[in-house]
Amino acid sequence: MNHNMPRSFSSIHPGLSTLTRRGFLARAGLGFGSLALGTMLARDGLGFDGGWRPPTGMPHGSPQAKSVIWIFLRGGLSHMESFDPKPALNQYEGKTFDETPFEGINDPEKRKRVRVVVVNDANGQQRNKIYPLQIGFQPGGRSGIEISDWFPHLRASADDLAVIRSMWTTDDNHGAQVQFHTGRHMLDVQEPSIGAWVNYGLGTLNENLPQFINMGPRFFDKRDGRYLGPAFDAVPLKIDPREPLAYASPEGDLSAKEQAIQFDLAGKLNRLRASEHPADQALEARIKSYELAFRMQMAVPEVVNFDRESEETKRLYGLDADTTKPFGMQLLAARRFVERGVRFIQIQHGEGAAGAWDAHSGLKANHSKLSQQVDKPTAGLLGDLKRRGLLEQTIVVFATEFGRTPGSQGSDGRDHHPYGFSIWMAGGGIRGGIAHGATDELGFHAVENAHYVTDVHATLLQQLGLDSHRLELPDRKRLEADHGNVIHEILA
Amino acid sequence: MSHILAIFTAVFSAALQGSEADPSEHWAFRPPTISGSFFASSQRSPAESPVAGQPAFRGRNPIDAILDGRRRAKSLAPNPPASKPIWLRRVYLDLIGLPPTLAEIRAFEADHSARARETVVERLLARPQHGERWARHFMDIWRYCDWWGLGDQLRYSQKHIWHWRDWIVESLNTDKGYDQMVVEQLAGDELAPGNMDTLRATGFLARNYYLFNRTTWLDDVVEHTTKAFLGLTLNCAKCHDHKYDPIAQTDYYAWRAIFEPYHARLDELPGETDLERNGIPRVYDLHLDRPTYLQIKGDPENPDKSKPIAPGVPYVLAFARLQIQPINLPAQAHQPGLQPWVISNHLDAANKGIITARQTVENARRSLAEAESPAKLTAATNHSSESGIALSNQESQPEPDSEKGSGDSQEQDRVSALERARSALDAAEKALTAAELRPSLVRAVMDADIERYAHVSATNDSLEKTGVAVETESKFRLAEAEANLAKAQSDRLIADSKKIADAEKKLKSATEALEKVRKESSSPATNYTSLRASSKALEGPDETEANRVKSYPATSTGRRLALARWIVDRQNPLTARVLVNHVWTRHFNQPLVPSLTDFGLRSPAPEHQDLLDWLAVDFMEHGWSLKRLHRHMLLSETYAMSSSNTGVHDPENQFYSRMTTQRLDAQALRDSLLYLAGALDFQAGGPTVDPQKDDIGMRRSLYFKQSPEDLHKFLETFDNADPKECYRRAETLLPQQALALANSKLTSVAAAKLTQRLTRSPEPASDEIFIRTAFETILGEKPERSEYDACAESLRQLLEAARDLQAPQPEFRARTGLVQALLNHNDFITIR
Repeated sequence: MNHNMPRSFSSIHPGLSTLTRRGFLARAGLGFGSLALGTMLARDGLGFDGGWRPPTGMPHGSPQAKSVIWIFLRGGLSHMESFDPKPALNQYEGKTFDETPFEGINDPEKRKRVRVVVVNDANGQQRNKIYPLQIGFQPGGRSGIEISDWFPHLRASADDLAVIRSMWTTDDNHGAQVQFHTGRHMLDVQEPSIGAWVNYGLGTLNENLPQFINMGPRFFDKRDGRYLGPAFDAVPLKIDPREPLAYASPEGDLSAKEQAIQFDLAGKLNRLRASEHPADQALEARIKSYELAFRMQMAVPEVVNFDRESEETKRLYGLDADTTKPFGMQLLAARRFVERGVRFIQIQHGEGAAGAWDAHSGLKANHSKLSQQVDKPTAGLLGDLKRRGLLEQTIVVFATEFGRTPGSQGSDGRDHHPYGFSIWMAGGGIRGGIAHGATDELGFHAVENAHYVTDVHATLLQQLGLDSHRLELPDRKRLEADHGNVIHEILA
Repeated sequence: MSHILAIFTAVFSAALQGSEADPSEHWAFRPPTISGSFFASSQRSPAESPVAGQPAFRGRNPIDAILDGRRRAKSLAPNPPASKPIWLRRVYLDLIGLPPTLAEIRAFEADHSARARETVVERLLARPQHGERWARHFMDIWRYCDWWGLGDQLRYSQKHIWHWRDWIVESLNTDKGYDQMVVEQLAGDELAPGNMDTLRATGFLARNYYLFNRTTWLDDVVEHTTKAFLGLTLNCAKCHDHKYDPIAQTDYYAWRAIFEPYHARLDELPGETDLERNGIPRVYDLHLDRPTYLQIKGDPENPDKSKPIAPGVPYVLAFARLQIQPINLPAQAHQPGLQPWVISNHLDAANKGIITARQTVENARRSLAEAESPAKLTAATNHSSESGIALSNQESQPEPDSEKGSGDSQEQDRVSALERARSALDAAEKALTAAELRPSLVRAVMDADIERYAHVSATNDSLEKTGVAVETESKFRLAEAEANLAKAQSDRLIADSKKIADAEKKLKSATEALEKVRKESSSPATNYTSLRASSKALEGPDETEANRVKSYPATSTGRRLALARWIVDRQNPLTARVLVNHVWTRHFNQPLVPSLTDFGLRSPAPEHQDLLDWLAVDFMEHGWSLKRLHRHMLLSETYAMSSSNTGVHDPENQFYSRMTTQRLDAQALRDSLLYLAGALDFQAGGPTVDPQKDDIGMRRSLYFKQSPEDLHKFLETFDNADPKECYRRAETLLPQQALALANSKLTSVAAAKLTQRLTRSPEPASDEIFIRTAFETILGEKPERSEYDACAESLRQLLEAARDLQAPQPEFRARTGLVQALLNHNDFITIR
């Protein structure tokens, strides 16, 4: 791509350049906070100067789902070796794209979809020598969706999955992780992540728990809320019943009653100050954060304590094997959070700066090992949600920032591939047992029903009963590309 | 999909149109001047330079004059000033990182003079805590990081890098010019080669040391010297030409070439010969002629060896070329053993060695006497003697199944115990002989070294002194080898079955070593081992000792000094602006130029460029004085405004119509807690404090060891700096922070101590006085009626709860609870 690609949309989009979250909130009032505080601010004359109102927590439409479990494989899962089999890769092993009968791989119009973030970087290159599939495929379930042998448990759950084989994204480096969550590459203008929007748009179902939780290694930027404010950042948790939260219990012999009085006083005093600083987002967020902190320290340890789960359930999530246990515990905790009304649970898999799935070399060893860590627990989660009747109201998303190149990198790896890749969704009014969209014969371009990453966000919001355009802040007009389009074909 | 493509395409092509202009015309690449716009508004001519006496602003603070003009043009009304206590707390926290005491609040409230604010600012700038507060800001920007590694292996940064931190603190407290600070950090070894105080500054570069990869190391240096001092992202030109700025890939390597020769080492300080315990980590030029090559696509395996790249700076900043002059170093700079304190260091160490050796001989004699007395047999065989002769029970006790009488075996044990004791004494005596030779060796070597480096060529005197040193060393080596052999023999005798193989091996090598020394001493040597007083950092995990002890070069390339002077050249358009922006950001919590580390083409001219430029020019013209810069900012009316946002119509605060609040950073928060509790230890400087062993440590937070391996849990919870890169602290707001303030040992201890203080001083306080004093001490303001009532009600509830629990001292417990709640107040953790 060309040399002068903008780093920031904001530098060239005057509508986005000068406004921050403070601007909106100063004029529009609060997007959250207790009723008392809201009333007080309204009385002070701050508030609503037009048609727009902050979300009330009531859905805009009729919700099909209440919660989201968002599983994200960091680094880039090979679509061809997971959910989008391409036998032609075996047939044309070692050939260049031009040596195959398939046209359009090098079509400049299609290639335009992606911007190359770093020209001539060691990674992020298209590889022109076809690399054969490193694993076999079989059809799964009654639907017969083909899924690779690295995911046998998920294959057995194929009838619950809506596999989307035609995802694409615009950027070719791991900043695309941010992009999958926000719709914008990390070098562009900073938008809230999908979890933050859900958290912002929906009221809470459980006052004792954070509504937006992250488990596992985070991608680069931790401020999910962006201009919505720090109150919409994911709360990081780890699954350690002894200390799921740092500083989870008071020092010394302070009683719960005494601590309740202390928190209550701090809250009261902060509210009294709020009249002088009505649009101080940090103060608002801190009030909320204190209240939540107090309740959280009581509630969270119970949620991540699995003593009451049956051995059979624990086995379902793979808690009986070292390979599957760490991820299984996070998923089991996610189910328990869903049961308690948490809206959005984000689980990131794959350590390292780029993410463990980033198999530039040794793809076979890498993916066979990592898939074992996630396959059984994820299938276990689906089965467990289903038998408890929770799958109907919970959407499970299984995604990654991009796929991997059909061509080989080095002798045994694949590079980043943003032109076409696969994810799946399940539950919450999503149709199971379908494979939607397609890449071309070599798995290169998304050629049928192609979906940009925000289409996943649009679909989630629709199922949760939210309208992305109505969540939008008046001073923060988003591009249509940011809102995305609902993938109607996968809805039940 | 097509519409998305259309949007992206439209957006991209819009960007292309703006990029045609001549990049050298970019605002940040042109030197800051005090020009046009605000002279017009103040109706003065440019000839009346505002820098000299500031007539253009009619005596007003230029910050206010400029921003008032902006606000008037936008019809924006500025906020009224904050209350006196709020202003005071703000300025205390900003300048010293600690809140004012109640007495200080009272004194300021009572001071109605026109210079009341100035008095406070001056007093704070003069306090030693000011240097500590601002050192931490600069430690963020300059990437302070203590060493870390695996076990004893140092992999990253350098030991004792805290000397550099102390240099930062001291430099700020003495208001050393920022230009001078930059020069000393980049080239202190070239500027003042023999000055240990100045050499501390080069910790800035020594900190980048990385054992395993020289390219990684230099990549960090290139990236962060340009980001920190110039606001340039030279790192984006490592693999290809910069995509936005006029920086070629060759510029990256030309910058690297400036640093190509440098390396790190530890030099001795007065009073310590053990460099593991103390020493100055510093840099010097080691590889004077090592070429720099462009790495094709940034691949170190693929250098373009066809043309070496000369040290240089990007052409767009070619207001001056680097003036590189090689520097001849004084002898003590490349022979640190010649530093005057080294001889006394080593004589002291040698004399201490004699005392220890004598003690060992005494102990060995006593043990032998005990062994010779039959009555002491049991004691001698079953207990370790003080001289270190450990007799293992396993060997000395009779075999359990032995049918023989115990007499024989006891006699055997007695003999072998005697033998061991004699051998130990022999080893101790030989060690003493060697130790007693050491002071004369130190003197002889030092005499010879001084003579040798005092003259260009050898003199009779120097030859004679060399002869003495050679001879003394030879004697010493012989005595040392004999002592080593005796020690090995003694060790062999006491070795148990597990250690015997090892002991045999050591005995063999000690025997061989002695033979070798004997052979050498028979043929006269020509050289001796100088006192090194320095340890070169390993150039990789496999570097040999022989390579490591080579002499240091007697010259330095002068490249870094040339670069440093170029960076602080009055014509450099970036340096002062970047620094002013950093300081401004920390006082006003919103930058004048939003991208603190990128003033390149992607950074449009800031809204208040004239203000930035005025401050930058004034800064340069007044000795790059940071204290003067603080004064400008803190004594402005803009800084004094209330942060309330009722009725302010500048939502982004683009025109500084109000103060922007900020959260206390991690260090200021912890320090303030301890300070209020009366528990903060003001001891300044010195070695780092271990964050693991210091949950409730009393030193200021900047003294904790900080590396990726050494994290302080409480500080991390509040967005502590990432030592790899932190040009601006993040300000997250998470429930975990509330829990840390509510549940940490730090806050509960601080709350208890503060309650004690407030209860006792000056006399036992009533509940009402306690509430009012606690509120004002913690939050810096008197409580409103409603606030007082809320506190009183909670105190009553807390007392009731404490009585219900039948806790001892229920009143004290309840008051502590109140204090703890106040420490959780938003306005405690916030700079209003």
